[in-house]
Amino acid sequence: MSMLKHEWRLLMRSRLTVAALLLLLVLTALAVGAGIAQVRTEAATIARLTAMHDTAASTARDPTHGGDAGYVAYYTFFPTWQSPSAASFLAAGMRDVSPYVLRVRALALQSQLHDGETLNPEVTVLGRFDLAFVLTYLAPLFVIALLHDLVSDERQSGRLRLLLTLPGPVAALWWRRAALRYLALFACVAMPVIVGSGVQGLPLPAVAEVLTVVAAYLAFWVGLALIVGARPWRAATHAIALMGVWAVLTLVLPGLANLASSRAAPVGQGVDLTLTQREHINAAWDRPRDETMQAFFQTHPQWSATAALPEKFHWKWYFAFHQLGDEAVAADAQAYRDGLLTRQTWSEHLGWVLPGVAVQVALQRLAETDLRAQLAYQDRVTAFHDRLRAFYYPFVFNDVRFTRHDVARLPRFGEPVDTPLALSTVDAPGVEVGRNDAKNAATADVPGWARVAASGLLMLLLGGLAIRRVRLD
Amino acid sequence: MRVIFLIARDAWRHMLRDRVAVVGALLLLVLTVIAAATSHERQRDAMAQRERYQADVDQQFDAQPDRHPHRMVHYGQFVFRPLSPLAAFDSGIDAYTGTMIFLEGHRQNTANFGDARQSSSLLRFGQLTPAFVMQTLAPLLLVFLGFGLVARERAAGTLRILITQGVSGRQIAAGKALALLGAAAAVLLPAAMALFFLAFGDVQAMVSASLLTAGYTLWLAIWALGIVAVSTLCARPRDGLMALLAVWVTVVILLPRLGAAWADARAPLTTRFETDIAIARDLAAIGDSHRPDDPHFARFKADVLKRHGVTRLEDLPVNYRGLVAIEGERLTSALFNRYATASFERQAAQSATVDSLAWLAPTLAVRRLSMTLTQTDLPSYRRFVEQAEAYRYRLVQSLNQMQAEKVDYVNERKGAGPTRIAQSNWESIPDFVFDAEAPQTVIARAGQPAMVLLVWLLLAGGALAAAARTLDGRVSSAMRRARVPDTRSTEAAS
Repeated sequence: MSMLKHEWRLLMRSRLTVAALLLLLVLTALAVGAGIAQVRTEAATIARLTAMHDTAASTARDPTHGGDAGYVAYYTFFPTWQSPSAASFLAAGMRDVSPYVLRVRALALQSQLHDGETLNPEVTVLGRFDLAFVLTYLAPLFVIALLHDLVSDERQSGRLRLLLTLPGPVAALWWRRAALRYLALFACVAMPVIVGSGVQGLPLPAVAEVLTVVAAYLAFWVGLALIVGARPWRAATHAIALMGVWAVLTLVLPGLANLASSRAAPVGQGVDLTLTQREHINAAWDRPRDETMQAFFQTHPQWSATAALPEKFHWKWYFAFHQLGDEAVAADAQAYRDGLLTRQTWSEHLGWVLPGVAVQVALQRLAETDLRAQLAYQDRVTAFHDRLRAFYYPFVFNDVRFTRHDVARLPRFGEPVDTPLALSTVDAPGVEVGRNDAKNAATADVPGWARVAASGLLMLLLGGLAIRRVRLD
Repeated sequence: MRVIFLIARDAWRHMLRDRVAVVGALLLLVLTVIAAATSHERQRDAMAQRERYQADVDQQFDAQPDRHPHRMVHYGQFVFRPLSPLAAFDSGIDAYTGTMIFLEGHRQNTANFGDARQSSSLLRFGQLTPAFVMQTLAPLLLVFLGFGLVARERAAGTLRILITQGVSGRQIAAGKALALLGAAAAVLLPAAMALFFLAFGDVQAMVSASLLTAGYTLWLAIWALGIVAVSTLCARPRDGLMALLAVWVTVVILLPRLGAAWADARAPLTTRFETDIAIARDLAAIGDSHRPDDPHFARFKADVLKRHGVTRLEDLPVNYRGLVAIEGERLTSALFNRYATASFERQAAQSATVDSLAWLAPTLAVRRLSMTLTQTDLPSYRRFVEQAEAYRYRLVQSLNQMQAEKVDYVNERKGAGPTRIAQSNWESIPDFVFDAEAPQTVIARAGQPAMVLLVWLLLAGGALAAAARTLDGRVSSAMRRARVPDTRSTEAAS
């Protein structure tokens, strides 16, 4: 213990080290703070928009449109939203490019589902300043700064000879020093995370998972720094080698992998899907209306006994061909989504080799801001849209008058209350649980932190072994 | 001058002996080639795909059967954003913008299916383009190559020998800078070649490519001079390396993200949801063509009747419903454009906020210069969106015009007769053609970031000159302390 205290005093004597640790602490705190601010903004936006919708609906002159349910269904938009999870402050993920609020109505869904959000691409392309960024990119640099000259410093100052002649294994000294630096670095990242988690009310298992990711990722870099540091090079060479590895692991290889994955799983069907749906929906105007109705009744026999179409326009024909439009592209939509999931699975697997990618994947999954979460939201919107149709169709198909009383009964979008770690899906009334929800949200066969932990432990072990073999030259 | 070359040659020999440096340089070369080749292929595929889609939808539009023109207003048209020839060098914001817009009546849709929403988290690590290699990795390699250029000589004691032999600090700094500039040129060469390969055959792109090469030359020169200056000032090579790495991380990795966060916090954008509601509200205020008792359209109707000197809609020489559609579209489009312009203005303000940080982080200046000249920046995208919208307006209004002139009002109103018009009408509407920006305006936009880079180059040069002066000063004061007679005069005499 006194040895550790002594080492700690040695460490703290270097003003540069103290400054570096403080800087890491400040950067992490900034990232966590920015993340929490972002979550607050998103939550406030959602609250504001849903309230806006209510006011807009209540100020409509005649919300029953003279009792015409088809008209109501055509003109009434409903807000849907994807609340930020408690852990959302950790990693912004895809929330900056995919909308987390979306208005839908009872018409064909596919064309509504892929609407973009207003964003400034020039700002978005720069990336978010969140914990995932600080941890993936910046934390390794601090590890490198603090540990690259663990051995070479002693060598260059001529103390290595003395150390090697001391009784007992000298490796213990390196281990102690490395452990101390590791713990100091971990503390600088962990403290703001713990405070932030407290503020956001993150459940303990989730906090533990984040801290595991942090600890494992830092361990990876400490292990790597030990392996490189054990080479009989000068300190500057150590630093260059480590920075080179860092650049390759966090900048170059993910870029290459992205190229490879977009080649391996091309996703062009999004456009095809929209084009096909347009053809179907618009062709319906030229097709005999009875043909459309018969096609619709085949898959929806419950409406086949309703009154025949009148001479004039009737909403039920309109909604039928819209729904047929959705059904016509169902296979395309599934293929599109499978393509997206393939890409996501690709990057998850890549996490076994690239710990930086593993960190991003793990934190985004935990924060529920990844592609899976985006798809899960789309599924909830789809489920809600199904409810909308189910609500309106009895009015439209059976020619039931839509009353003020029915306005109050209009479906409202609900979302699952925050489920920690996305492990359980609560089945509450009014809560949309999509068809594929379970498949997407909880699919990760291996928990994200496990990939980071595997590489971290392996590298730490190799580093520990390498450092035992330090020789004088 | 000869001395400077000798020093530079010695530094090059040193770099070539250093295995880490050679491996680094080779790695960068390979990366540039891979990035250029794959990026080129990707861009070519994307371009071909978009052109094919565009041709398909144009053909589909023309091949629509005889029908009522308003059906065509709802059938709509798609336009695909073409890519500039240099987008393969710097993809800029391409992944974050949609690739196609659906144009239809009564609505202004968003551009959808951008790559960012379709990619896994990997895209966020950055796209491996030659621009990324030049902006991010090349300066890092220069740091590795140059951090010890002067500091190493000092640590080894050779610096003092050089100076006692009559070499001035200025000559040493110039020689070392020349050596690193040479390395920078070697790094830049493959990227420049890629650039000219992409631009080949297109005069305008060639001009942009030349300017872009000049811009990246500035960018790497700033680093080269700055690195030698730091190396001159630092007592030990290690200190120099640490300081330079800190600068690189701050300037290249950290500040751009902080800038984005700052810009976003200063002027947050309105969500599409909100804009849609606001538009719907404004629309209800100015007039709803679907409502018979709407005051605006009641006035409109009275005007039309008066203008034609008739009392009944049936007596008009044109189809009144077509006129209403034209008027309705005019009102809604004006409203859409007002909101779209406001949103673009706000985005431009955000970008300006980020750009102002270029005085702290020249990375942002070189990014801006690169995106501008390759036409993958926000103004280029905005140009596309606005042209698409102008096209949408023309398309919808010409269809509405057809309704007014070619469809009989009574037939349409009472279902008394045919309301369809011939397919040839669809063919008569011209296809969408994107009109790219004139080279002068692109170049004019690149002026500001180029100026920022020039100022940075002057600063780096000034810092190097100042650092070079301290070399003489420090060494001679050290010599005075050591009471060694100044040998410079005798050396010069002999």
